[in-house]
Amino acid sequence: MTFSLLHATDFADRLLYKIIPPLKAGMIVLADRYAYTAFTRDVTRGVDRQWVRELYSFAVRPDLTLYFRVPIDVSLDRLMARRVKIKFYEAGMDLGWSANPVESFRLFQGKVLDEYDRIVEEFGLDVVNAVSSITEQQRLVRDLIARHVLTTHAETVNEQSA
Amino acid sequence: MNSPPEVPPGPLEGANGGIQAGRYYGRSIPYLPIDGYPGKLIAIEGTDGVGRSIQIQLLREWLEVKGYGVVETGWTRSPLMQPTIELAKSSNTLNKLTFVLLYATDFADRLEKEIIPALKAGFVVLSDRYIFTALARAGVRGIDRAWLRSLYGFAIAPHLVFYLKVDVETLIGRVLEARGMDFWESGMDLKHGDDIYDSFRTYQNKLLREYSSMADEFHFRVLDARRSVDRIQDELRRQVEVFLEPSEKPAEPALVR
Repeated sequence: MTFSLLHATDFADRLLYKIIPPLKAGMIVLADRYAYTAFTRDVTRGVDRQWVRELYSFAVRPDLTLYFRVPIDVSLDRLMARRVKIKFYEAGMDLGWSANPVESFRLFQGKVLDEYDRIVEEFGLDVVNAVSSITEQQRLVRDLIARHVLTTHAETVNEQSA
Repeated sequence: MNSPPEVPPGPLEGANGGIQAGRYYGRSIPYLPIDGYPGKLIAIEGTDGVGRSIQIQLLREWLEVKGYGVVETGWTRSPLMQPTIELAKSSNTLNKLTFVLLYATDFADRLEKEIIPALKAGFVVLSDRYIFTALARAGVRGIDRAWLRSLYGFAIAPHLVFYLKVDVETLIGRVLEARGMDFWESGMDLKHGDDIYDSFRTYQNKLLREYSSMADEFHFRVLDARRSVDRIQDELRRQVEVFLEPSEKPAEPALVR
């Protein structure tokens, strides 16, 4: 609970200082993780699913949300290749499910992924297959964003000329 | 009293909506079931300078002499959050929403680490301020009331809530005598003007109205805080005794202290 609120506090501060002002100025804000991260992570830690959604009801709903989906083994392989030690909280070690960091990571992130699947439907996220190559992913991402930005931009122009 | 539903629905309920002492107001902390815990939670509310600290100190001594185990908890006193809150207050860059969430984080930490364990172990928990302070301060600052009540749905409804009520004139006198007015107590962040006295008066008046508006909703027991310390204490003890004695009689001779 405290963990959840601590993150919400940080998020509120960033929202009000770093996200809302550029949006008002008409800029595009790229958020690396958003409230959905909290929904999955906090619920996996045992926080009430509805409570955390209401908590974050002050957040701006993104125009577009991309969810990079990978199976647990792929994400583990990538992490292990990059650095030896898995972070304590990333592995959900605080929950005491396993004393082995890798095993704990597998259990914890497995549940997190289940929550993401629920959220994809609930909030209509666009799923990117993150197992494919970086180039492939980036092309898809550009495609999705381009379509979105163009549409929105066109609307804005129309509004202004009207 | 009312017979509340097994799981209280959604946000904090109004006076007739099924608040039950010792239970979560709204959406619970699923991993911390608290039903049947023997401890009692007593909250002492009231604005700054109303004399809460001295009343709690006296109440604690009295309860301990009677053989009760007593734990105190107070607003922004969590070891985790207190330094952060002080830092944020001093820099003046704190948005009111962030402010609200910082307080809620502090409260959650104390709830999980102090209040719930103490209730489980059968202590009397004396809370110097409770969520009503947060609701009042945030309410004055224009934060959405429904959202606030949903946010604090994880709070436990105290068995007793005493509200030390005072008028703003008395309050001004006491605060000036004691230590003077400070920036936050005067609501200077609300920018009612540069004059700290005027701002204090305006802000505290609004706070008092917020507290009064919650009195029925949350079953406050209102005490006139303009009276002497001793008279207030007598009243507190009388009401606490009536509440505690039928439910639990500590074996006084067995307690060596």
